[in-house]
Amino acid sequence: MAQRAVWLVSHEPGTPLGGTVRFSRRYPTVEKRARIFNGASYVPIPEDGPFLKAVLFELRLLDDDKDFMESRDSCSHINKTSIYGLTVGGEELWPVVAFLKNSMIYACVPLVEQTLSPHPPLINISGISQGFELLFGIQDFLYSGQKSDSELNAKLNQLPDLLLQACPFGTMLDANFQNSLDNINFASVTHPQKQPAWRAGTYKGKPQVSISITEKVKSMQYDKQDIADTWQVVGTVTCKVPVPPILGFYQVKEEEVQLKIAINLKLHESVKNNFEFCEAHIPFYNRGPITHLEYKISFGQLEVFREKSLLIWVIGQKFPKSMEINLSGTITFGTKNQEKQPFDQICIGGTAYLKLHFKILDYTLTGCYADQHSVQVFASGKPKISTHRKLISSDYYIWNSKAPAPVTYGSLLL
Amino acid sequence: MGPLSREAWAQRLSAFRASPSTSMAGPEGEDLGRDLLSDLRSEKLSEQTKVSLLALSLEYPAQLWPDAATAEAAATSLLDTLVLLPPRPSALRRPLLLAATTALAVGGALGPTSEASCRLLPLLLGLAMGRDLGRGFGPTSEQRPLQATACECLRELESCKPGLLGGSLGLLRSLLGQEGPVQPLSLLLALALRNTLVLQSRAGAGLQGLLMTKVFPTGSGPWDWTLTEDDTHLQPQIPSWPAAERECGAAALEPSLEEAKELRAAVAQLLDTSYLLTPVAQAQLLWLLGWALRGLRGQPPALFKPQLVRLLGTAQLTLLHAVLALKAAFGEALFTAQDEALLLRRLTLAAQHPSLSPPTHLFYLHCLLSFPENCPLGPEGEEAAPLLLGPRLCHGLLPSLLHDPMALLARLHLLCLLCAEDEEEEKGQIQTPQRYLQELLAGLQQRAALDGGPRALATLCFQASYLVARYLGGQPLVLTPLIHGLAKLYRARPVLAPHFVDLLDQVGPELGEPLRVMLWQEVVSRRGTDEALCWHLQLLAKVVDGDSQSATLSFLQDAAAYCTDWVLQQALLRVCRALLRVSGGGGLADLLQALARQLEDPDGRDHARLYYILLAHLAGPKLGVALGPSLAAPALASSLVAENQGFAAALMVQEAPAPIRLSLGPSRAEGPLPVLQLQVEVLQPIYSLELRFQVEGQLYAPLEAIHVPCLCPGRPAQPLLLPLQPRCPAPAQLDVRALYTTPTGLTCHSHLPPLSVNFADLFLPFPQPPEGSRQSFFEDLWDSCLPKGAESRVWCPLGPQGVKPFVSRHLEPFVVVAQPPTRYCIAIRLPPDSRLLLQLDSAQADGVPVALRTDDWAVLPLAGDYLRGLSAAV
Repeated sequence: MAQRAVWLVSHEPGTPLGGTVRFSRRYPTVEKRARIFNGASYVPIPEDGPFLKAVLFELRLLDDDKDFMESRDSCSHINKTSIYGLTVGGEELWPVVAFLKNSMIYACVPLVEQTLSPHPPLINISGISQGFELLFGIQDFLYSGQKSDSELNAKLNQLPDLLLQACPFGTMLDANFQNSLDNINFASVTHPQKQPAWRAGTYKGKPQVSISITEKVKSMQYDKQDIADTWQVVGTVTCKVPVPPILGFYQVKEEEVQLKIAINLKLHESVKNNFEFCEAHIPFYNRGPITHLEYKISFGQLEVFREKSLLIWVIGQKFPKSMEINLSGTITFGTKNQEKQPFDQICIGGTAYLKLHFKILDYTLTGCYADQHSVQVFASGKPKISTHRKLISSDYYIWNSKAPAPVTYGSLLL
Repeated sequence: MGPLSREAWAQRLSAFRASPSTSMAGPEGEDLGRDLLSDLRSEKLSEQTKVSLLALSLEYPAQLWPDAATAEAAATSLLDTLVLLPPRPSALRRPLLLAATTALAVGGALGPTSEASCRLLPLLLGLAMGRDLGRGFGPTSEQRPLQATACECLRELESCKPGLLGGSLGLLRSLLGQEGPVQPLSLLLALALRNTLVLQSRAGAGLQGLLMTKVFPTGSGPWDWTLTEDDTHLQPQIPSWPAAERECGAAALEPSLEEAKELRAAVAQLLDTSYLLTPVAQAQLLWLLGWALRGLRGQPPALFKPQLVRLLGTAQLTLLHAVLALKAAFGEALFTAQDEALLLRRLTLAAQHPSLSPPTHLFYLHCLLSFPENCPLGPEGEEAAPLLLGPRLCHGLLPSLLHDPMALLARLHLLCLLCAEDEEEEKGQIQTPQRYLQELLAGLQQRAALDGGPRALATLCFQASYLVARYLGGQPLVLTPLIHGLAKLYRARPVLAPHFVDLLDQVGPELGEPLRVMLWQEVVSRRGTDEALCWHLQLLAKVVDGDSQSATLSFLQDAAAYCTDWVLQQALLRVCRALLRVSGGGGLADLLQALARQLEDPDGRDHARLYYILLAHLAGPKLGVALGPSLAAPALASSLVAENQGFAAALMVQEAPAPIRLSLGPSRAEGPLPVLQLQVEVLQPIYSLELRFQVEGQLYAPLEAIHVPCLCPGRPAQPLLLPLQPRCPAPAQLDVRALYTTPTGLTCHSHLPPLSVNFADLFLPFPQPPEGSRQSFFEDLWDSCLPKGAESRVWCPLGPQGVKPFVSRHLEPFVVVAQPPTRYCIAIRLPPDSRLLLQLDSAQADGVPVALRTDDWAVLPLAGDYLRGLSAAV
């Protein structure tokens, strides 16, 4: 359940090495056990330089994919988990838990307490989930409230001290690095009463309880006979919902050099017509810049981003009384320039979508809410209690009904 | 050297971290460990700098103090530094304890003979107990964090040296019940308990009341090391998975009633307070206790039951993983069928929950396919969809084009497993998952066909095809559209040819063979003038076969005109080469001849000519060997040179040790010339054997070679006949060489041991005269020898059987007159034109006098030797 080493590598496309090791920590007592447990299959932890090269290659983050390379592109080289074998000095370092998030590669090597050949099933290795938690903990710490590079650097500088607290010997004590930070800051406070073990210090502030319900609604709308529209609401409470909040269709027809588009959106009558914002993004992929546009719009404003080949229909805070709005128009495109206009793997030919972005405060589709007066807290002191609700769109797509669209399994009408 | 400044140290540390190996090899490398220890006591450096020095020693002790002696010295120095700290709050105490622990454990110094160990262990245990260790150990405010740190250090030492704390179990237990910090003590106790149980059960001993002893182990005497074992025998901690258990052979320990009660109490105590631990620590505790109880007979896992109520609903990755470990360890004994169904539902939902990260989804999906079922059906260790995981539950886990590559492949794997089951169960029904799979594959192919798209998209499409071929190879309903789709993809994007070649290399014949045929048609149906000619040729070299050669040849003929540069010509020739291997024929010969004239590049022309010569001169199997994989280095200037190295082995004659044994059979003594009978044995099948003989000293005329088409070991061969034409009647040595072809098609040459032709091998009889005139015939011969020749007399000793068997054994064919038992007249012809006559007269019991005459005096000593040899044999 221990880790042999941890790395943070920033991915920097276009630079000679492709990235930089921003942080690394090795655990020699664990390494010693690895040498004994793994026996003949033991592969030592590499230095940072070779590790950087190997991890970027294995995660396909190096820029050179021009030629077919068997060790990377072979069809039988399949990774179905974030656990890799890295080739270092001709040997395979395994298992390496690694993932990329916000241009940062988080990686660690869990101790496997048996021989590595053949590879034991991942589910039998306790260090795998521990490794994930360690990396998630670091990720949460680095990006909680962080906005600029200098803040990120400051947090990276704090990491050695934090790991000394949270993971001194490679076996993690706490994945919540904020607790460890508190421990450093309040290390001198004694505490006589029995309390959770990971909190050696106490929090000195006003007691406060905040309950927030955020629902995210996803939707895929096709406007087709044989494909069912889908929607999914997820949040702290998940329930089945009778309708998506906004129903619509999107039709695109290609006529010689022009595209003709028609859009209709309708807000369901049961939904609160009071948005913080509501916009429809209408991208045109794999085409040139927009050179000419004629359109008719029943409500709201249309913003045109010619170079990006993108239209944004700003609907605003409210739908009109009819609850229904339309947009139609014809668009002409210039010559495609691979570098400037967006490329997409799915929107090929007539396949196209519009994506809705909206947010409604103090509202949930499910009707779920927390009653601020019914919240009981079993602790000394009287915390202030506040509750919030909001509905946010998330992956809310309406597909062009005049061309094929990617279908999820659930929406096939069987 | 005096103490370094903060900046100097910062520089030195970052240089070291950048590359420890380079840094250690540098001029200051060796001193780093020593400087670090001494500067820890410097008053000029801030605590923060000293903490970073200690941090380095925590990561690289093996480089700083590479052997046991230096590690011991370093630990001693670190402990001294700790004791010398002034009694005010300091950030150094904790890292000093960690550093001393690390140095001892990594340096291999930990043991009863190490003074530092004997100082550190009681110190750590004292701190863990919350004892007042005197003013050296800082203000009371630091006691609590130091107590936790001491527990961590002890846990690490126990991990590296199992059994170290076996004697302190009772003490630790009593501490946990009092005011000690719950998490560090719980984890320490659980580890020490697990290790003790494993060690004691292996030693066949019980717990020996260890859980009850509450004495400080160093109360008066030294630390008790008797329960530890050599650290080369660390046992796998992986609790309780059946395979792991068998491997480590944790014999079941059956504790006494009293011990079992104590053990249950200790485990229950640990579990009861486990909710106070952080989730990751709880998970560690569960893995440890699961392992501890697994090896114990009569310990029902029901102790875990109250925790499961809480844990089955956990949203924590580590805890859910630990629950799965318990599930694998105890199965039905702990988890009901309902629990199992609930776990599966939770895993299914967790594998797609939007608030969890993609790596977590993938791990849960892996757990689903490796789920430890109560009653598993499939083979152990192979990924499979659990029985209770029906298609309905999987709905949300199926792949779609919107997923990222890893998620798509993982989900596709699941879909393939479902399709495989589906076929078994619902043959004939509308196969919905199959239909969905088809559409998905079509979508992937469409994406891969996108002009200028990233290679990763193409790779994904081929990976998916590979998975489908692997799991659904027997389902034509899936494979047929896949093959058509792939052919269409090739039509759209021939630049993907290397991916197709790779796919054909990796998949089995169910997909590979029909796909190969389809792709072949796809290529040859085009005109060879395409822009993508290079890719077509690359693919064609993989997919040609002996059938329908004319289409391939006409494609190549068209293409040849457009192969203007070296690269294209080589690609073209590679296809020719592939054709040579699989078939041959007139059409190919014509093409090669045309290429040998027409290609612009001299290397290409030479190549074509070489292929033509090979085709014209070698039979099929030999051609196959000649064109087999070349061992030549690929970077040679001319591809012809490179390939020639491959041919060299196949076409040239190789020296080899002889797999043939030749021996002389009995001589035939008939006909006009002596003929040797050669017996031949072989150790391996050989073909086209040619045996060449050479006579030393030109005693005989040059000998003809012998040819044998085929010889096999164990199959009796006819004797080979070798006629001799002696120029004088003398024995000789024959030098023998063999040329032959091995079953692998190589032609070999071997030198065999020489054959000796004996004097007697040259004997031939005279034509037999008519019955009445034999005596006079012999007498005429006898008289004609002199005066030119020579005469001699020899006493020839006989064996107990007398003269008759002697004659019949050695001289029977040459007897002219026989008057047994006393008189024999023997006439021997010696080619080219000599004779040897023997008269055996008045034989006695122990021997016979032999009178011999010859017309060639040079024969006389040979005849004498021959007769003496016969006597000696008696």
